[in-house]
Amino acid sequence: MPRILGVDIPAEKPIGVSLRYLYGIGPATARTILKHAEVNPQVRAKSLSEDELSRIAAIIDREYTVEGQLRRQIQQNIARLRDIGCYRGTRHRRGLPVRGQRTRTNARTRKGPRKTVAGKKGVKELRR
Amino acid sequence: MGRSLKKGPYVDAKLYRKVQLAVERGSHEIIRTWARRCTIVPEFVGRSFEVHNGNKFLKVYVTEDMVGHKLGEFALTRTFRGHSGRKAAAAAAAPAT
Repeated sequence: MPRILGVDIPAEKPIGVSLRYLYGIGPATARTILKHAEVNPQVRAKSLSEDELSRIAAIIDREYTVEGQLRRQIQQNIARLRDIGCYRGTRHRRGLPVRGQRTRTNARTRKGPRKTVAGKKGVKELRR
Repeated sequence: MGRSLKKGPYVDAKLYRKVQLAVERGSHEIIRTWARRCTIVPEFVGRSFEVHNGNKFLKVYVTEDMVGHKLGEFALTRTFRGHSGRKAAAAAAAPAT
């Protein structure tokens, strides 16, 4: 299994796909990286030469923030919003949607599983 | 959608003038404003504002991290005291007394 930038070991898949196993690299980024490195994205990751791998790694290292560093950056951005006490910060703190979505219904990704309140309208009907 | 870069950030002209005046005079008076939509520019850092939230003025002390946000982001317009129900009602009654 080839390694790119230390820990990550993409697999038996075409390099264009296996690059996406790195956090912070999606389809579009993978494509531009491989174009830049002049590597055919259809080639399986296992059959890449040392040289090709190092070229890819060099480009990612130079031009992109990935993995832990990217995660840290995102966390920092959120922490900043929390600290300055702005509206978006409070939404993050409360675990509610940040970008003005409705919360009357839906918003389950942010709010997590439903917490049913007894005695509220509709609960009885649900049980029947 | 974001604002066109060509235009630059929106800064309320009147408020900006007031801030400049305060800087010149070296006064650290709190500036009352309704201009929630005004972007915070570096000149505002270290000054206090009172931003209207539709009901009253909320004190906002501008720090460096706030640059680029709008004043209104720091003066919340909604009060959410929790949902109705036994638990929430008890909690609401306690701090009120």
